[in-house]
Amino acid sequence: MKLGYLAFRNMVSKPLNLLLSLLLLSLSVSLVTFVLQLSQQLGGQLNKNIAPFDMVVGAKGSPLQLVLSSVLHIDVPTGNIKLEEAAAIQKHPFVQTGIPVSYGDNYKGFRILGTELEYLDHYNAELEEGELYENSFEVVAGSNVAQRMGLKIGDSFVSSHGLAASEGEAHDDHPFIIKGILKPTGTVVDQLLITNLESIWEAHDHGEDDHEEEGHEHEENHEHGEGDHHEDGHEHDDDHEHGEDHEHEEDHKHEEGHNHGEKEHEHGEGDHHEHEEDHEHEKEAHHEEEKEITSLLVKFKSPLGMVQLPRFINENTSMQAALPGFEVQRLMGLLGSGVQTINGIALAILLVSGLSIFISLLKTIRERKQELALLRTYGLRTRQLLGLAFLEGIFLALIGFLLGWLLGRLGIWGVSQYMKASYGYALQINGPEVFELFLLGLILVLATIATLLASGSIFKLNVAKTLSDA
Amino acid sequence: MVETSNLAYAYENGQELSFPDIGLSEGEHLLVIGPSGVGKTTLLYLMAGLLLPSKGKVSIAGTELSSLSRREMDKFRGEQIGLIFQQYHFIKSLNVSDNLSLRQSFPKNVNDKERRNQLTERLGLAEHLHKKVTALSQGQQQRLSIALGLIHRPKIIFADEPTSNLDDVNCAKVIDLLKEEAEICKSSLLIITHDLRVMSHFKNKVVL
Repeated sequence: MKLGYLAFRNMVSKPLNLLLSLLLLSLSVSLVTFVLQLSQQLGGQLNKNIAPFDMVVGAKGSPLQLVLSSVLHIDVPTGNIKLEEAAAIQKHPFVQTGIPVSYGDNYKGFRILGTELEYLDHYNAELEEGELYENSFEVVAGSNVAQRMGLKIGDSFVSSHGLAASEGEAHDDHPFIIKGILKPTGTVVDQLLITNLESIWEAHDHGEDDHEEEGHEHEENHEHGEGDHHEDGHEHDDDHEHGEDHEHEEDHKHEEGHNHGEKEHEHGEGDHHEHEEDHEHEKEAHHEEEKEITSLLVKFKSPLGMVQLPRFINENTSMQAALPGFEVQRLMGLLGSGVQTINGIALAILLVSGLSIFISLLKTIRERKQELALLRTYGLRTRQLLGLAFLEGIFLALIGFLLGWLLGRLGIWGVSQYMKASYGYALQINGPEVFELFLLGLILVLATIATLLASGSIFKLNVAKTLSDA
Repeated sequence: MVETSNLAYAYENGQELSFPDIGLSEGEHLLVIGPSGVGKTTLLYLMAGLLLPSKGKVSIAGTELSSLSRREMDKFRGEQIGLIFQQYHFIKSLNVSDNLSLRQSFPKNVNDKERRNQLTERLGLAEHLHKKVTALSQGQQQRLSIALGLIHRPKIIFADEPTSNLDDVNCAKVIDLLKEEAEICKSSLLIITHDLRVMSHFKNKVVL
């Protein structure tokens, strides 16, 4: 029989001690590894996604929201901006590229993003199969979307209004067709269905002559917070949030009365006159003939742009400029203090678990004094008895670490499931990281110290006396 | 097999106890008898190398114990000596079978299942191999204690008061068992006791 077996039997012979020590140890390990993985993966994910762009220009509102919605595609947009205004920025000498993006529809919860093909280059997205879109209503699908939805080249689907699966109704007279499927990029592109800008405009634009009664419906007034509008199925672009607060509440009530079977309504230029007649109070505020986009993603030519352009845009236009790097850093800063707090708690639990291992070993060594003396008469040397205690401590540490590690990963898996469902982001279940091996080392050192401290009586063991004392 | 000369032991309080010389040849049985408090257990521990004498020598199987280093002594004791204690000492986290196999494993790594089976069969422990040691009856614990003293075929068996807790019938049984097992593994047997009932079972006696 090996000493290891004896150490193991000794360890499990006190199930309550064992449970307490393991619980404390695995709790601290799972906390540290979970939080670390989460913050690392979130930070990594965020940074990877914002990397291609230096600045986002969108409607006024919260800059963080603008970044989250337009770059990371996890929040609702702040509103729309005029394509014309955005184009002016594109031409600015500091700007290397400015990519307009427009969205507002989804297919089963996956966002349909209208943009230029250049967008794909910025994320180094390559085709897995098929080809890029050329015409309206042709789509390339991110790898995750294609996989989850089982999309193949040539498949067509109908988009629904809004950004989440349950929202709105289908735009069923404008089916999209899958032209290509992208390779996994590990970025937000994997979660998107990408088409050209015109598709987004056209999906919302249809024969105004046939549907004049829809003229009263004015999509731009809808604020995305107004959930009650979603049911009527007429309105869309509820993302558009304008500075002005229109009295459109009544308009909606009005249109809800109409049952014209139209899920979409126009967005286009041809419609606006009638529109404006219906809503005189909106006349000055809107230049409907202009196309709108949700935001403009900008890459600077020179770092000077970073300094000058955002301020210029924020002060002189009706748009706002947000810097993804800055916003994400701010977000991570908020997360960071939470991470530090949790790490502090985990460290405290780790020390307590070290103490608990020490106490439980000290107790068992004292209780087993006679057994240790017996083992000495079997021919075991002091060193082997130390080894026995050491093995018990190490077993505890290893099992505790392993349990905690698994628990931490289970937590990541759980969060991943949640995030997948809510945001379309999945976290990876990574193998052991260097830091975690370092943590294991720390725990082993802690267990060794605890064992050595608890083993004092082994050195001083008086075999004859101990055996005679009943 | 066992020889002591001018053996004395100094207790911590300075009191020194001298013992008569003891000689025991290979395969022989010897009874050391004396009233409580004359240092019987001390003598046994001196002979087993668990205590160091203040004077005199112990030699076992031709090896003088004082010539061994601490480490050599541990090994020597583990291999050559079987100890049967007055109080039963077991490893409580292990079952009966594992206790025996643990004893076999040190200091030489032996795993002789047949030996375990035969011995436990003869000692009536065969059905209890997978029981926890704490679940054994007093008599079973006594027999396991004997088994642990014999399992590794030691050259010499030292038994400390093996009968003190037993009634007359069981006392005779245990003595017979010890003598029998010692003969089977060709071990010398040295029993230390104050139990006069054991007297008649032995020819060779030393009175302390």
